Amino acid sequence: MIVAAEHLSKWYGQVSGLNDVSVSVPPGITGLLGPNGAGKSTFMKLVTGQLRPSKGQVRVLGEPIWGNPALFQRIGFCPEQDAFYDRMTGREWVTALVGLHGFDEPAAADAAARAIEAVDLTEAADRKIGSYSKGMRQRIKMAQAIAHQPELLILDEPLSGMDPIMRRRTVRQIKDWARAGTSVLVSSHILHEVEAMTSNILLINNGRIVAEGDVHHIRDLIDEHPHTVSIRTTHPHAVARELLSDEGVVSVRFDPGGLVVETARPDAFYARVTDLAASGQCGPISEITSPDDNLQAVFKYLVKA
Amino acid sequence: MTARPSLPALPTFVTGAVRVFSLSLSEMLWSRRTVFLLLVTGAPVFLAVVARIVQSSGIVPLRVNGVAVDGASVFGMMIWVFFLRFIIPVLGVFYGTALMADEIEDRTITYLFTRPIRRGAVLVGKYLAYLVCTSLVVLPSVVLVYFLLVPFSQVARTFTSFAIDLGLLALGLAAYGALFALVGAALKRPLVSGLVFVFGWEQVALLVPGYFRRFTVAHYVQALVPHAMPSDGVASLLQSVLTDNPPALVCLLVLAGIVGVTLWLAVSAVESREYVLDQ
Repeated sequence: MIVAAEHLSKWYGQVSGLNDVSVSVPPGITGLLGPNGAGKSTFMKLVTGQLRPSKGQVRVLGEPIWGNPALFQRIGFCPEQDAFYDRMTGREWVTALVGLHGFDEPAAADAAARAIEAVDLTEAADRKIGSYSKGMRQRIKMAQAIAHQPELLILDEPLSGMDPIMRRRTVRQIKDWARAGTSVLVSSHILHEVEAMTSNILLINNGRIVAEGDVHHIRDLIDEHPHTVSIRTTHPHAVARELLSDEGVVSVRFDPGGLVVETARPDAFYARVTDLAASGQCGPISEITSPDDNLQAVFKYLVKA
Repeated sequence: MTARPSLPALPTFVTGAVRVFSLSLSEMLWSRRTVFLLLVTGAPVFLAVVARIVQSSGIVPLRVNGVAVDGASVFGMMIWVFFLRFIIPVLGVFYGTALMADEIEDRTITYLFTRPIRRGAVLVGKYLAYLVCTSLVVLPSVVLVYFLLVPFSQVARTFTSFAIDLGLLALGLAAYGALFALVGAALKRPLVSGLVFVFGWEQVALLVPGYFRRFTVAHYVQALVPHAMPSDGVASLLQSVLTDNPPALVCLLVLAGIVGVTLWLAVSAVESREYVLDQ
């Protein structure tokens, strides 16, 4: 196991950040999925030795992590926060941080150059980090995490701020690193992001691990419950009339500017709405959104289940 | 990532501190705090320029409290009034308490605390960067003030005391910096506590007869000053009457002890404390 937590709890004064979590993370890629405020960051901070457990214990790569800096020779960590030494160039910054692993200057410079190339930032490496876009800052953060070629990579919301192309590329890269033998623990609050990387997930909510295992099982749980879809249209009654003939539709209610539909067969429903929009027979449909994409809704389903 | 290379040996405490020092020095030198530092240390230089112009004009002799004085005496007074009583303790408070606080406020501490170096090495590296950064600004300012105020003919006679001034100012920066590094590592509101210590406790303790003054840094730094204490106020007069300067060797040992003990305590505090960053 790369991470093993036993009855792990963390309190901030009277506030509980993590509550009696016992979990084992196997080698490979594991996604830590949870809405904002679920306890992901607390778990990540405990796993990276930034916080000391209030109760229980956490072992990383077989060793306790709190007060054990030597372990970071084998761990790379990409934190969530968008924080840097903005006056340094990307290359200077990564080289200086790799230097803290004991590399001499030329070796640190080589390792930094390789890592910067891996995240596709070579052209911008000699620019000051302060001038980087959000996506570039995410990538330079990844570079400092991988530069010393760790056995375990811990990535806290690594795709946030990246454009879709870089997001896809980063997901591919993470999978490549895993294939090369690096274990990855990655946190996100977006289900499809984690699904794109791994099928092995930990679901966390209210400071507890509420489910763990194969993401498809979680998907099945979600699919057993009606999906809510919000449709913006100028002709909500005409659209409702058409959709109510669909056997998957459970309920329809009208909202200002459109309607909200609950369906038990989301795939067929989305196809039907797309057809309606394309035909224009019920007037223009300007927007289709699903609160189900919001992880908080998923957890409500799970808790009810 | 390609095949995993053999990793270098783990950095020792000293190597870690030196690497953090290299990483932190330029950040510290080009920070907003250095602008404040330049303003503070620029004030005595500006006054020295004015004094030099007055002195060179020969129209009005330099006078302090109505008594004509030479450039060397004015320099000695400036060491007391500006550097010892204000600049050195204030820089110690502002930089020392911020050694860790800046990294926490900027949320960059995570990058340092998730490396195979002890947290204490991070503190010591940043302390060394503070020492070099402040010395690089304060000591040249003192040199400028000296050469602006002291006529070339008096340099040979006064140079030894000038060298002592530079040394004791560096020692003062080291002692105050280490003390406030501890305050910064251990307390929640370190800046307020630091200012209370410098402008409250030290000022009062130096005026009270008895042992209290021994629990100040100023008592030992001021005892090393080769210039007479200026009588520029009631407090100074009282202080000069009550003063009981310990021998130089005792002062040096105590100041070295303050640096060693407070840094060690600060290292212990940093290694056992959790730093929770705001999201």
